[in-house]
Amino acid sequence: MRALAILPALALLAACDSAPGVSFADASITLPDDPVDLPEGPGREEVLANCTACHSPSTMLQQPKVPREKWEGIAKKMIETYKAPVDETTIPRIVDYMVFVQEQGEAAQ
Amino acid sequence: MSEGKLTRRTLIAGAGVTALAAPVLAQQAGRLIDLGLPGGPSLRPLEPVFPGKGEMIVHRVRPPVLETPMSAFREGVITPNDRMFVRWNWPFPTEIKANEHRVAVGGAVKRAASLTLDEVAAAGEHVSVVAVNQCAGNGRGLSQPRVTGGQWGNGAMGCAKWTGVRVRDVLAKAGGTAPWAKRVRFAGLDVPLTDGAPQFIKSLPMDMAMRDDVLVAWAMNDEPLPILHGFPLRIVVPGWFSTYWVKMLATIEVIDDEEDPSHYMADTYRFPAAPVQPGDKGFPTVPITTMPPRSFITSHADGDTVALGKPLVLEGIAFGGDAALDRVDLVGMGWEIPCTLAPDDLGPYAFRRWWVELPQVAGDFEQVGVRARNVNGAVQPETFVWNPSGYARNVIERITLRAQ
Repeated sequence: MRALAILPALALLAACDSAPGVSFADASITLPDDPVDLPEGPGREEVLANCTACHSPSTMLQQPKVPREKWEGIAKKMIETYKAPVDETTIPRIVDYMVFVQEQGEAAQ
Repeated sequence: MSEGKLTRRTLIAGAGVTALAAPVLAQQAGRLIDLGLPGGPSLRPLEPVFPGKGEMIVHRVRPPVLETPMSAFREGVITPNDRMFVRWNWPFPTEIKANEHRVAVGGAVKRAASLTLDEVAAAGEHVSVVAVNQCAGNGRGLSQPRVTGGQWGNGAMGCAKWTGVRVRDVLAKAGGTAPWAKRVRFAGLDVPLTDGAPQFIKSLPMDMAMRDDVLVAWAMNDEPLPILHGFPLRIVVPGWFSTYWVKMLATIEVIDDEEDPSHYMADTYRFPAAPVQPGDKGFPTVPITTMPPRSFITSHADGDTVALGKPLVLEGIAFGGDAALDRVDLVGMGWEIPCTLAPDDLGPYAFRRWWVELPQVAGDFEQVGVRARNVNGAVQPETFVWNPSGYARNVIERITLRAQ
């Protein structure tokens, strides 16, 4: 409370008025699991092995339809910028899968 | 932390526990909400339910990205803690011991300090500010052409009362900043899974960091910050997008760079310096900072029916962004009517209610919306300003009402 002593009297009053003091307790949370699994499709195993550690299946399936080149760029960004331990030879299969599930999703609409 | 990081082996091992796939829609058939995202996919699950949260739109389970359904904004101008949107870039600890948490204050300060929570709370006067917390990408999913990233509707925003001490008082606990200090950086306990990936670090220019209402906050709506909202401490920057409102604050670093070279300042969360077209490349960008004004009709949703020949009251919320709200107008196709604003007793950075009473419904309302202007003269645009990351959407949001 030493820092308060240097404040003008008025500010000190305001501080006391608005600050009944604060105490901190421990906190914890149990986060739910993703209830969604990736649908079957070509490249699904590669996506499971390389992507799902950071990206929930639900998120992957919610992206807007973009061209193959965009998915290739995103996969490269994950490796180069975010240092994802992805085997680069699997990128075509990962991209195959994303293109496939987006086409399936579109057909279902 | 290294044992917690991902290796190729753990990635593959993790894949082994995944159950057999079932059709996606069947898995989500329980409770869905349609966000009206152009071209789809537009349906989102309202499950799983997260601890401490009410009904939320689940964009991502891990790490959590949860959106507030627009219906929640009908309830009032303060967004309850269990309805505030949630957005994490990286995983975070799910258990925190209050007496073990420290905030390191270092860099261009007189003497580096490691502060306990009690020391942070004793750093200065306790200050409360009511302010809108809004993701820079709020409304990204409504972009046309669509862009990748978190596919938010317009519910990545909320308004709460935040209580803490001023950042400048916490800096004073380290003896104050050096004369050559240019920016103050903040980092939390949320860290990447992969070695070498950039940590979520954000920085404010010195004048912002020293502002009267820029806080290290521990309370949200008079309750301790929930873990999902950054327990035990988060930065609060009224008027600026929530990318700067760093959660689970663990490090404050004063730096002498005019431009912060760290990834989340230099490479992303940036906006074109001048308007661009889809497909443009190599244009100059600036960090996304202040919020523009926005407003929404909350009393009615797109496609609702209204009673022909009867009076109609439309209501909603608005905020001025980085300056107080000045006015809100109801705008149709070629007409506009001023709306009444509720008193601004929560301060310039809060949601404010507006309403307007129309004497008689004469027919359908095609493409009716609201347009907010702030006291600096910033006004919501008629046409959407596209940008490749879908940031800072504030086009007039329009709905159609059917009279019958």
